[in-house]
Amino acid sequence: MLEFFTGIISGTVSGTGMGGGTILILILSVFMGIDQHIAQATNLIFFVPTSITAIITTIKEKLINWKIGIPVAISGIIGAIFGAKISVNMDVNYLKKYFGIFLILITIYEIYSLVRQYIFDKKRHNKRKR
Amino acid sequence: MIKKFSLGIIAGFISGLFAAGGGMIVVPAFVHIFKLNEAEARATSVFAILPMVITSGLFYYNNNYVDWSIGIKCAIGGIIGGFIGSKLLKKLSDKVLKIIFIMFLIYVSIKMII
Repeated sequence: MLEFFTGIISGTVSGTGMGGGTILILILSVFMGIDQHIAQATNLIFFVPTSITAIITTIKEKLINWKIGIPVAISGIIGAIFGAKISVNMDVNYLKKYFGIFLILITIYEIYSLVRQYIFDKKRHNKRKR
Repeated sequence: MIKKFSLGIIAGFISGLFAAGGGMIVVPAFVHIFKLNEAEARATSVFAILPMVITSGLFYYNNNYVDWSIGIKCAIGGIIGGFIGSKLLKKLSDKVLKIIFIMFLIYVSIKMII
């Protein structure tokens, strides 16, 4: 049942574009004590059906930029092969630590973008001035 | 072209390694480097990330890290959540959500590293 609620929370957040997948993994691993690798694999399963639905909708709305999307997708497969190979062979404690470090970097970026948005709202016309 | 390929490799690597966070790299890059608007950037990022996720999924599956019982329960919850999210989004402010998200991230990242 807890898994079900985890899905609801992550799904709700996913709509905001703020890392629903990250939240899913964190709830499963940090709060429910599920192995980090399994938590990560769960997010991969979670992503497929929801993203296919989203892609169909956005194709209809002509929102996908193919010129950029296709090369990024293809090179992404190459990157994913390396990343996944390293991940599945990595000790779970190290994987958790690296994930934590990655989260801190994401947090710094999120704070930066929040502050930037705040400044942008305040001084819209002075945007280019430094 | 070099920019697109480097972005793909980096995002794919992160997607494979952590099974998350690809979008957090791709979306800002699309907005700031490739100058897409927010809606296009999100739509294109989901399209670009799906093949990375499927590729990584095969590796996790081959190493027996896939737990279908957890996965299916989460996925069902996720579909319901997606629906709630699309309704709720219009009511909650972006900034409030972001601040909650940041506090959550700080808490768990410390927990994970220690």
